[in-house]
Amino acid sequence: MKIRLFILLLLASSYNLLAQESSLSGYVRDASNGEGMIGASIYVKELKTGTQTNAYGFYSISIPSGRYTLVLTSIGYSPLEKIIELDGSQKMDFEMTDEASVLQEVVVKAQREDANVKSLEMSVNKVEMKTIKKMPAFLGEVDVIRSIQYLPGVSSVGEGASGFNVRGGGIDQNLVLLDEAPVYNSSHLFGFFSVFNPDAVKDVKLIKGGIPSNYGGRVSSILDVRMKEGNSKKPEFSGGLGTIFSRFAYERPFLKEKGSFIVALRRSYIDVLAKPFLKGDLKDSRFFFYDFTAKGNYKINNKNTVFLSGYFGKDVFGADFGFNWGNSTTSLRWNHVFNDKLFMNTTVFYSKYDYLIDSDLSNENDQDSFRWESNIENYSIKPDFQYYLNTKNTLSFGGQSIYYRFNPGQAEAVSGGETRSIGLPDKYAVESGVYIGNEQKLTDRISLQYGIRYSDYRYIGKGNKITLSTEGVEPGERKNVADIEAVESGELIQQYGNWEPRFSANVSLGGSSSLKLSYNRLAQYVHLLSNTTASSPLDVWTPSSNNIKPQLSDQIAMGYFRNFDSNTYEASVEVYYKKLYNQIDYVRNADLLLNPAVEADLLAGDGRAYGAEFYLKKNKGKFNGWVSYTLARTERLVEGLNNDDWFPARIDKMHNLSLVSIYDTDKKWTYSATFNFSSGTPASFPTNKFLWQGIALPHNYYDTRNTYRIPASHRLDVAATRKNKHAFFKKGESEWVFSVYNVYNRRNPFSVYVRQNEDNFAMTEAVRYSVFASILPAVTYNFKF
Amino acid sequence: MKKLFYSSFIFISVFALSSCEDVIELKVQDGVEQLVVDGWLTSKYEDQIIKLTLSQGYFDNSDPKPATGANVIVFEEDSTSHVLLEIDNSGEYLLPKEETGFLKENGQYALYIEYEGEAYAAVSKLNRVPPIDSLSYEYFEFPFAPDDSAATEGYFAEFYANEPAGEGDTYWIRTKKNGELINDPTLISIAYDAGFTPGSGTDGLIFILPVRQSINDGLYVHGDSIHVELWSTTPDAYYYLLQVRQESSSGGIFATPPANIPTNIFNLNSASEKKAIGFFGVSGVSMFDAVIDSTKARISD
Repeated sequence: MKIRLFILLLLASSYNLLAQESSLSGYVRDASNGEGMIGASIYVKELKTGTQTNAYGFYSISIPSGRYTLVLTSIGYSPLEKIIELDGSQKMDFEMTDEASVLQEVVVKAQREDANVKSLEMSVNKVEMKTIKKMPAFLGEVDVIRSIQYLPGVSSVGEGASGFNVRGGGIDQNLVLLDEAPVYNSSHLFGFFSVFNPDAVKDVKLIKGGIPSNYGGRVSSILDVRMKEGNSKKPEFSGGLGTIFSRFAYERPFLKEKGSFIVALRRSYIDVLAKPFLKGDLKDSRFFFYDFTAKGNYKINNKNTVFLSGYFGKDVFGADFGFNWGNSTTSLRWNHVFNDKLFMNTTVFYSKYDYLIDSDLSNENDQDSFRWESNIENYSIKPDFQYYLNTKNTLSFGGQSIYYRFNPGQAEAVSGGETRSIGLPDKYAVESGVYIGNEQKLTDRISLQYGIRYSDYRYIGKGNKITLSTEGVEPGERKNVADIEAVESGELIQQYGNWEPRFSANVSLGGSSSLKLSYNRLAQYVHLLSNTTASSPLDVWTPSSNNIKPQLSDQIAMGYFRNFDSNTYEASVEVYYKKLYNQIDYVRNADLLLNPAVEADLLAGDGRAYGAEFYLKKNKGKFNGWVSYTLARTERLVEGLNNDDWFPARIDKMHNLSLVSIYDTDKKWTYSATFNFSSGTPASFPTNKFLWQGIALPHNYYDTRNTYRIPASHRLDVAATRKNKHAFFKKGESEWVFSVYNVYNRRNPFSVYVRQNEDNFAMTEAVRYSVFASILPAVTYNFKF
Repeated sequence: MKKLFYSSFIFISVFALSSCEDVIELKVQDGVEQLVVDGWLTSKYEDQIIKLTLSQGYFDNSDPKPATGANVIVFEEDSTSHVLLEIDNSGEYLLPKEETGFLKENGQYALYIEYEGEAYAAVSKLNRVPPIDSLSYEYFEFPFAPDDSAATEGYFAEFYANEPAGEGDTYWIRTKKNGELINDPTLISIAYDAGFTPGSGTDGLIFILPVRQSINDGLYVHGDSIHVELWSTTPDAYYYLLQVRQESSSGGIFATPPANIPTNIFNLNSASEKKAIGFFGVSGVSMFDAVIDSTKARISD
């Protein structure tokens, strides 16, 4: 309550600061393709103040009328200096030019590349797509999710595991947004590749802490992926041929450059190549994955722009027995500029993740088959407003409402010609939120961002309300189902509400350094049930209910930011402490699939994560890249597990060191290398064995969890890119990318486990399992014309 | 099912991209020795043995020490007792076949053990079991040679039985190939009604296809004998066996966290530090025998 009062006071005080000022507003775009630029900074030299463009390239700044020198900067672009005469409120659009395309031009000395020191954002990492494309890629396939794992505070349980972990959070605790629509499974092929087509991605931003009030719904991080809008200047084809995917994208303007669109398609083609070698029944086998990304935008007039984006991806495996899964998202957005101070974006989206297992894809066998499908579907509306009140305050407010439908599993079993349908009833929920926040420059040295979000969650019918009983049940064991009550459509089963305060502060320490501080509380109402080391595509999302409480997290973070050598280097040190509540764990032998009372198999516990992150990045010059080091700890406390004591979470990695280096020669070649070292994840081993029916079985006398560590992992990858003058017929441009994954051929352990000897089940042995145990070279050809 | 094989080949080849397993040395903390009960009574007319041993360090690959000198008694519901006598200090306690007549369908039985001053007990029930109606096999050829077996062609067998109506029956399917029990813990075949799991809604069906085909370990060749036994179990035995299989198949990308296998043996003095592990089960058994004859194989589809 105190916090709310504090915010109200701050808001009220900011209104007093209203003065008669003119405002300058408009869009900043990329000169080569007309894409709106995200986070470009606009600095007014004379007033020593400035602002940044939002996610749509829009900016607004309130300043008195007069003559000013504006300096526009953005990493990777040539700074732009403009003298303007401001007389009353005015609109002004700017275009910036890519650094690489400027030849020997005298470059204005950059003024505002110190955004990381000056901005309020902390615990935020942006990786330019340009950089991601230059980094060595696994099997030559450029991958957004793999690339962000080189950032401080980000890790994964092992090579080949799907998703990523941020500051001790599970993979389902990251809100992965593709043009504002959530993506529920970000992986192709069980986790080897991510679903984002690099040709269609414009911007990637990871927020690990100090999460502003406009985001909500997950307790660890936000990965905000923005798609390209499509070249609004000229038609362009681009594509590539890699070891796994072949890619193709087409973008162009339409209706006199008032609109533009992009369509991008990727498909794996290993099956096409393998086809001639397959005989008999295998001829029908299907194993491929593809994704289709499309986006269009249309500028109705200066005040209104609409965007329509869609993603559709699928993985298909099987000969006759088949398995497929995929995501699809569609989002429609409307940007409206009410006036030079008020900007609105309203997003309406639909997102779906589904999978299907079918024992008889071609329907040959009507006597025996098994078919099973599951999905999560949601619809949402999300209006967001930005009000550029005055030079000192930028307000943001809005809301969101999401309607969920969960299908935990529908199966049909046919045995001996007799059919049985096993349907778990659908589950429904509505999650809503309203927020207000302000970004305030308190003094020359102190700026603040504060806000609050209230989230409301309703688990509703039609469905079954399951009441569980713990009578006579030991903690950590499966609970008993006491009652199942059928609930009518729309009727409330359980409601939860949470206040989520957010705060961050930037205190300038003079020169080019600053101290930042942040706190945030986040609530999460949907959970991914996954009890395996790496998440599998079969894992089911489930809503909070009368038995599953929403997950909550509180995080405080503090950081010191400093730039050196006129912003050539940026450095930061951050420490964080995160407390997690109502974390889901599982009873022994938990049955998570097709289980009508799956809630009885779940346990709830607390988590804590803390650590320090060190980051040094070189932004300029031929040789650039970064070093990041994270020292961290992640633990869980669950009643009934590990004798009710804290234990390291399965994602816990104490040390994580990453090096990314890129060397651009003036000539045709660009070289890059990445290196990562990370501590082993925890493991549990038995103390004893006992012989039963001639089989050696494990037994942990002390019943402890995760007391051992598997050995550390380290790996070096390299790549070289050769730029060609032309792609085809003396037109366009192209490049060859040569990459080598795991250069020094290390067998990095994914896990260590114990088992019976294959030839004598009474004997025991320990095994180290590596997902990749060889050098993996790859060649990719990319073109654009 | 053939298709299932093909698909798993594709799956495996995707993962086998370059993955590998290395046997390594590992040092683990030692636990405390515990009494291990390995006892399963069946309706088969044969000598029945309850084996008592002691647990040992996990990587200790010497023979387990027998738990000798125990008093082992099986009680019927009406407290009629049957004492099992130890065979020559071997930790094996015998119920001669002539005395097994008391084991009847729906009968509930308790095992009582006195060992080193502690008293342990367990209860189980002999549930109904349907007959196996038939067994068939079809010719099968692997697209490429599996690494652990020489045979790339042979016969793939399945058994047929009707699971009786009424939810909650559980089974353990045990197969002998040429007289030798298929005892690979990763291949333990258990059924809940006619399917795999409680939620599968398969009550009263013919055992579903993958259960019917769970009697194969590699391929059968002409002249091989197959002996299939269908054991009825209690639900807690089903969960015990499920966990035995789970703990034996762990590892890899989608491994679940290791957990102790539950036991139904409890110390009658619940305050005692000494706990036993293992399992006591009672099963009704139906069986079917066949010899693979290439002329009688089912025509492949």
